[in-house]
Amino acid sequence: MIDIEHLKHIYPGSRRQPARTAIHDLSMTVGDGSFCILSGPNGSGKSTLFRILCGLAAPSAGRVRVAGHDMATDAAEVRRIMGVVFQSPAVDKHLSVGENIALHASLYGIRGTELQERMADALSWTDLKDRLGDRVETLSGGLARQVELAKCLLTRPRVLLLDEPTTGLDPASRWSFLTVLRRVQRERGMTVLMTSHVFGEAEDADSVAIMRDGRLIAHDTPAGLRARVGQEVLVIQTRDAEALRPRLAETLGLAVGRYGDELRVDDLPPAEVPRIVEKALNAHRADIQSIAVKQPTLEDVFIHITGKRPAEAGAASDAGGADAKARREGAPA
Amino acid sequence: MMRFALSLARREFVRFIRQPQRVVGSIGQPLLFWAFLGAGLTPSFNPPGMEGMTYLEYFYPGVLMMLILFASIFSTITVIEDRDQGFLQGVLVAPVPRLSIVVGKVGGAAAIAMFQALILLIAAPFIGLMPGIGGSLMVVAALALTSLGFAGLGFSIAWTMKSTAGFHAIMMVFLFPLWLLSGALFPMNNVPAWLDFVMTINPVTHALNVVRGPFYEAPGALFSSGEWLTSLAVLLAWVVLVLWLSVKRVNKREMGAKPSAATA
Repeated sequence: MIDIEHLKHIYPGSRRQPARTAIHDLSMTVGDGSFCILSGPNGSGKSTLFRILCGLAAPSAGRVRVAGHDMATDAAEVRRIMGVVFQSPAVDKHLSVGENIALHASLYGIRGTELQERMADALSWTDLKDRLGDRVETLSGGLARQVELAKCLLTRPRVLLLDEPTTGLDPASRWSFLTVLRRVQRERGMTVLMTSHVFGEAEDADSVAIMRDGRLIAHDTPAGLRARVGQEVLVIQTRDAEALRPRLAETLGLAVGRYGDELRVDDLPPAEVPRIVEKALNAHRADIQSIAVKQPTLEDVFIHITGKRPAEAGAASDAGGADAKARREGAPA
Repeated sequence: MMRFALSLARREFVRFIRQPQRVVGSIGQPLLFWAFLGAGLTPSFNPPGMEGMTYLEYFYPGVLMMLILFASIFSTITVIEDRDQGFLQGVLVAPVPRLSIVVGKVGGAAAIAMFQALILLIAAPFIGLMPGIGGSLMVVAALALTSLGFAGLGFSIAWTMKSTAGFHAIMMVFLFPLWLLSGALFPMNNVPAWLDFVMTINPVTHALNVVRGPFYEAPGALFSSGEWLTSLAVLLAWVVLVLWLSVKRVNKREMGAKPSAATA
């Protein structure tokens, strides 16, 4: 549904600033009706990609097609079938909930009885039923987000793009926003691409794409991504991670990665987990603040794949090897 | 196309009405200027050929222009906040012709300006300016064109700006002087040659001529006056130019730099 081919984006330089490449040769596909989460550290090029996908910026090179329409030549066609929820609110806070929705609908040519029906439908799954006449500035952050989602879904987009839509919401609002989004997405077979920092949100997705330094370094199902880290990970917290790392690696005979003040051993051999923990504790009891064995979450995968600087990746022998392998698999050909 | 524009224009107007400070501020300022300058300058105002005209009367069309200038600017300034993080983002990704975004926003701003100008027009009979039906319609039409001109100018400047502070600077050194040197405050008689030149090429001077005309002369006489028709042509050209410029700006997408041989 969304096909990105060899996309490249360079921000033009100025006298004071050299040109900066935000996206290097990125290719990926989001299948029809699937829910894809796009993630990556700050500055990884997510926002640039988002602006290109919704047609606000034109890339330096490469091609984006949405439902077969080329974004460069057929943007008008794409706009008709696409909905966009921006990170910053795109509702007018001086207008009421109903006025905002009606105004947005009118931009898509929806009015009259059709508007009434769709409005009723869109509001049926929100908590906005009694707030239609209230100005958006009087709503809570969570409700204001619901207005945003309601107005975008009202136009029945086939493709919905969302840029960190849950930023600033409390956990309950976040949960209800995502539940609604996921339900409507399934019911309508809508294709959704959502950028997010919160990995709890990604566990439920059909696929998760991870960007770093303007490159796509992984794009897989959540299960597939977790499998890269193995079934279980050992996480040790210590005061002096750098000092303990080589000693621990020697004791265990396994590759130990360092992420901040955490040491990690990915992909533990399942049968030997108790023995490994025992060995680690016996040899380094004094240096270990906490030790845990856990099944990898997507956050662990994210740390595993992106958490290292390129220089460190080269130095850390075995962990670096695994990292490079992950990048090879994820990277576009 | 017009339907989208109308929806957007209506939004501008509703927003304006819901912020009473804005209504009070943009009508109040020109009114105060008019009252204070009118009262203070009338005793010394005695240019050749305008005997018997009080400054209050002379300044009146200029006050209308000022009101329109401020109303248009305050409306178009919202473009700056709206474009990068707000309502306009949603409009830009909607299947709406770019021209209707311009027409909606500029039209909305012009409508707000006109609304205020019409309120101020109530004052005309009290200072002895009573054009006939035809003349009144011409005044209104001239004010409407001027509103489009100022709103379009404000829009095309605001679209490329990153901050409202920058826009305020432009307003003080560019937009306000356009009004100042239009004959709104003082007549063009006997001014130094350079000032005469600047005032002649200033489109606002011509807009003011077009507005001032129907207060004093019958419509028939104006349409056979070469000077007035020239001013009308300049005003029309100004409106077309700023609208064209605005559409051009809106159409322009942020472009990635072309990969050079070294980086490709």
